[in-house]
Amino acid sequence: MSEIPLVITGVGAVSSAGVGVEPLMDAIRCGRRCFQPLPDALARESGAEWAPATDFRVADFMPPLKARKFDRCSQFAIAATGMALQDAGLAVEELDRTRIGIALGCGFGGITNSEEFLKGFFSSGAAGLIPMLFPNTVPNAPASNASIEHRLKGPNVTMVQRFCSAESALLMAQRFIEEGRADVMIVGGVDEITPVILKGFSALGQLRPGGAGQGFTEGSGILVLERADHAVRRGARIRGSLLKVATIGLLPSGREQEGLSRILAGVSDPELELVSLSGVAAGRPELAGFYPRTPRLDTGALLGRSLAMGGIAMTAHLLTLAPGAIGVHVAASPEGPWFAVTFQGALLSRD
Amino acid sequence: MFKSRIAITGIGVFCAAGEDVPAFTASLREGRSGIGPVHLFDVSSFPSHIGAEIRGYDPRDRFDRKDAARLSRADQFAVIAAHEALRRSGVLEWYDSFDQGVSVGAGAAGMFHGEQWFKGALKGRREDPSLLSGVLPDRTATALASRFGISGYQGSITTACSSSATAIGWGADLVASGRLKAVLCGGTDALSLLTYAGFNSLRVVDENPCAPFSLGRAGISLGEGAAFMVLEQEDEARRRGAVILGTILGYAMTGEGYHMTAPEPTGSEAARVMRAAVEHAGISADDVCWVNAHGTGTPLNDVVETKGMKLVFGERAPLVPLVSTKAVTGHCLGAAGAIEALATIIAMNNGFIPKTLHFRGADPECDLEYCHGGRRESEATIALSNSFAFGGNITTLVIGR
Repeated sequence: MSEIPLVITGVGAVSSAGVGVEPLMDAIRCGRRCFQPLPDALARESGAEWAPATDFRVADFMPPLKARKFDRCSQFAIAATGMALQDAGLAVEELDRTRIGIALGCGFGGITNSEEFLKGFFSSGAAGLIPMLFPNTVPNAPASNASIEHRLKGPNVTMVQRFCSAESALLMAQRFIEEGRADVMIVGGVDEITPVILKGFSALGQLRPGGAGQGFTEGSGILVLERADHAVRRGARIRGSLLKVATIGLLPSGREQEGLSRILAGVSDPELELVSLSGVAAGRPELAGFYPRTPRLDTGALLGRSLAMGGIAMTAHLLTLAPGAIGVHVAASPEGPWFAVTFQGALLSRD
Repeated sequence: MFKSRIAITGIGVFCAAGEDVPAFTASLREGRSGIGPVHLFDVSSFPSHIGAEIRGYDPRDRFDRKDAARLSRADQFAVIAAHEALRRSGVLEWYDSFDQGVSVGAGAAGMFHGEQWFKGALKGRREDPSLLSGVLPDRTATALASRFGISGYQGSITTACSSSATAIGWGADLVASGRLKAVLCGGTDALSLLTYAGFNSLRVVDENPCAPFSLGRAGISLGEGAAFMVLEQEDEARRRGAVILGTILGYAMTGEGYHMTAPEPTGSEAARVMRAAVEHAGISADDVCWVNAHGTGTPLNDVVETKGMKLVFGERAPLVPLVSTKAVTGHCLGAAGAIEALATIIAMNNGFIPKTLHFRGADPECDLEYCHGGRRESEATIALSNSFAFGGNITTLVIGR
């Protein structure tokens, strides 16, 4: 259990289902798949799909001249963070900004800018370099740009770890609040999927049916994680509680069940209302024996997968939970890590 | 403040200034720089032609053919440095695999190989797709966890030049919080055309070896390498008879929230992170004996860091040496924080404060003690190590002897 009660007071999302949490939850409720065929120019493989965030219009969130400064990932992060802050009713300027931090998982951030920057060099030599592209080649650009735009000056970190990038960021955010480094952490994931990334998947043979690059998506899912007493004091609406974040690095051969038991122990079937499966968890046979009777939510099957999809999946998971109900979000990557994140819907945990 | 003291029981390094701890120690002690001509790729079209490249590196000298092809240059550096740290600590044989973790600070990662694929693809060539396999910066942590059988945790921090300092702080926290009993933490990075061209395009690369805090300094010298350390609870380490090389007393990391590339100019943000680290360590600023600077050698960074020191240490600031080991190692980006943390531990254990090399003259805006004149003998017991990055991601480690 968390050392001190932590709650989620706001959510924001940009996804293949649309902009905001309403289209996201509508897609989940209706079981609507948000994929589309890849353009022929991008994939040699027939039948390959992707799930871009086609409804996202950056002009809805910032002036065009400002938008040009940012890579697509940063645009997603700035927009989703703004939605989450608004949903949480957090007036940043009225609080101590050094106590509000941000921790994001980011998978492919920077790759597209890197390719565009290098293209200038490979085409025209040093004279072809566009300096303004370079700062956004780093994966921390989305979290940092979001912190600059929303004036957040607390702990600031970006993590990437396969399909568990957002959960990795959540673990750190949880710890920062428990340690007293922050009162509020903006936490989640952000990713982009662009032609250059798809070409890379294609080259690696990963756009085949069942391939690792098949059905990739983009967007950002953000949760506002807050110390419970801080949230109560400012009269915030509480959307749910974060009860526990458990992780292991990998499942060693022969110790798979022991490894999973380490992170899944503590909550059993009758108490659970929902198991959310993220990353590659849905396809992992090792999970079959855990929670056989609990309803499962596979966000990726509807919205697509990305390395930082946990932000969107955890948002959907939390908003699906009934008041007081307990749910576990399980995320996995092929070579590790594994995460199990326990949430409780709406009511504040007394643990 | 960490609930328990976090001991460093193994260190390993692989960089242009030394391909293991004894060689790196000698470079630090003798003030020998690893900066020289870059041969890894064609740099003739850039203003700068130098860097701290690990010259003559041939993966086949250290890896079998399969691993040499499978692991990126940055991954290979990490394996070499991590192996040295793990061998010195002996933790792999002591703790259960699930009680150990890997925390890596990453930078350009496998971009050196990835950009060869980009170049070929741009010309319509079908390049070897394995060139892309290490492009994502999390690959190193997975490779280390898998290679050394570390199952408790794998995580990668990607905050550019502060990545590996934060990875060490986070590694200490994973032990202090009781989640793990031992963590292999550090960072790795390799030179790449992307970063070489990028920093040159921003005009922050010095044509001569970088001269931190000197008059006439013109920017950074890029470098590459890896450094790792093994952290565990001091009580546990003593119980198993491990040699304790130092302690991570605390750390702080924060976001300036100011500008993507420029530091906050008054030094107040640099001061904020140093103060927060000192507070987290449960010490006073008066206990800090010297500071291993971010000290890139850019005109702006060095002035801002100097201002930050004055805000933290007040009248005592001129008495607290602010030294940069980047003139020895080059700026190793994602690995910089880890390499500098190791330099700090090594210097404290060997009773000296390193010299800041390549002095060109006194800058009136940099008016503190930088050890430009030479290495100092020192009985220092506590030092800070600063790492500042694009995006305003700034981190300070508090390191004890």
